[in-house]
Amino acid sequence: MHADPQSVSGARPIIRVRHACKSFVPFKGRSVEAIRDLTFDVAASDYVAIVGPTGAGKSVLFDCLLGLKTLDSGTIQIDGTQVADYVRRKSGGIARIFQEDRLLPWLSATDNVALGLQIRGVPEKERRAQARDWLEKVGLGRFADALPSELSGGMRQRANIARAFAIRPDIILLDEAFSALDEITAMKLRSDFQTLAHAQKMTFLIITHSIEEAIFLGNRILVFGSPARLVHEIDVPPGAAEDRGLVDSIRAEIRQCISASGRDDIASRQA
Amino acid sequence: MVDVQPATNALEKAIPVLGERRNNRLFTPWVSSLLPFVFLAALWQGASYYSTPFLFPGLGKIAGSIWTILTTWDLLSQGLLTWARLVGAVLISLVLGVPIGLVMGLSPRVDHFIRPLVKFFMGVPALNWVIIVVIWFANVEVRIAFVLIVLCLPITIFCVYDSVRSIDRKLTDMLLSFGANSSQHIHLLMWPFVKAAVFTSAKLNVGNTVRTVIVAELVGAPLGIGRELDMAKNLFDMANVLAWTLIMVAMAFVMTNTIEFLERHTLRWRGQSHATG
Repeated sequence: MHADPQSVSGARPIIRVRHACKSFVPFKGRSVEAIRDLTFDVAASDYVAIVGPTGAGKSVLFDCLLGLKTLDSGTIQIDGTQVADYVRRKSGGIARIFQEDRLLPWLSATDNVALGLQIRGVPEKERRAQARDWLEKVGLGRFADALPSELSGGMRQRANIARAFAIRPDIILLDEAFSALDEITAMKLRSDFQTLAHAQKMTFLIITHSIEEAIFLGNRILVFGSPARLVHEIDVPPGAAEDRGLVDSIRAEIRQCISASGRDDIASRQA
Repeated sequence: MVDVQPATNALEKAIPVLGERRNNRLFTPWVSSLLPFVFLAALWQGASYYSTPFLFPGLGKIAGSIWTILTTWDLLSQGLLTWARLVGAVLISLVLGVPIGLVMGLSPRVDHFIRPLVKFFMGVPALNWVIIVVIWFANVEVRIAFVLIVLCLPITIFCVYDSVRSIDRKLTDMLLSFGANSSQHIHLLMWPFVKAAVFTSAKLNVGNTVRTVIVAELVGAPLGIGRELDMAKNLFDMANVLAWTLIMVAMAFVMTNTIEFLERHTLRWRGQSHATG
């Protein structure tokens, strides 16, 4: 374990964030800082879990990684190019799995999974075949023609995951993807997701409020303060999720970092 | 899964009336909805026995007038002309209103420009429009089309605008995160919502035009049901007035039901997602 914010676990960095800053001016309000001087790297095939307090700007960071929002200052590079250029050059290189399934209610499970492929211009027959293949992989083969309203919450989230994988992205961003599910469904889905991501050799970043989930899925944990800034980084050794003592020690370390960063933040605001 | 069947049966055994009511085929929704009209017809027929025919003609005389209208081409063609005017106005208001509402929903700048105008036109009473078009246009069809369209258009625009504005931002973010461009955004996300608004506005406009077309025809046109009603009024022919009124109601009923049928077929997903079983 270490606290070097720019370290990369061996391989070349696929995501490079440097001194990123982002603020918003909400309706009738003063400027709210979402990201403050954030710097970190993610290596190809890294599994990075991001933990931090609610409202710390973690989802805003994902918006910036997708090119949906631009930084006020600083840079984000993906695969060696600026994020805007990367998104333009490689549409569908990054996929996002949201907390809510966000399936379109008028489309069947197959058409929902094929949505990203449709946007990329894949012909109908081909995209539907690929979508059915992914539905099989996530265990929804029998529900290919079902509407989202006919699926359970867990099944809808499986379709959501299949939709992200179907475009074969280099990077998957999971925005609290399992937090709306009951624990048993979430456990199964986490495990299935991990198997798929490892098999596809994909890089993924997951925002989570569950330290157990961060340890189970991530090989690195980035601890964010509020506004989003890197306050600590933890390398998670393989099999850490099964070692109760290690889980407790990582949990204590994360809690300590978050409360220390909260105290620092209050002190800096008072100063 | 909890099996509720035994509990229902137990309840029916304890309170036998419940079981009987469930099995009573007499009070189907159709029969229940017809009952008030049967009551009204009986009341009317009763009144016809104690009044003069020009105030309360008997049901037989009204039915005879309806039959004459339906079997006489000269009369039936007046009804069909009015019906064509209704359908035409509803369709043209959709063709014009959908893009305007869509652009307003997409662009706050366009919204700020068009919204006050639409509100202004909504505030003008139908009869004022009828008088204006009589002065403006010599062509009868133009007069009636203008009045009906100007009354339908704001409803279509606001229905479409509201449907676009009500789209969940999260769905838009999801689509953009997959790299959707503007035309894909409209085609994949907005159009299904706009379709629902099209059906709603069409239903509202059928009611709107049925109420307005007669006024427009009475003042501005020598043909159509309006003219027939005007003649019936001059002859104190209450049976004919009621016959045309019932035909107008039937016309609106058929049009609304046709739209609802198309709506159910096109928006099947919506019916299923709100199904209560």
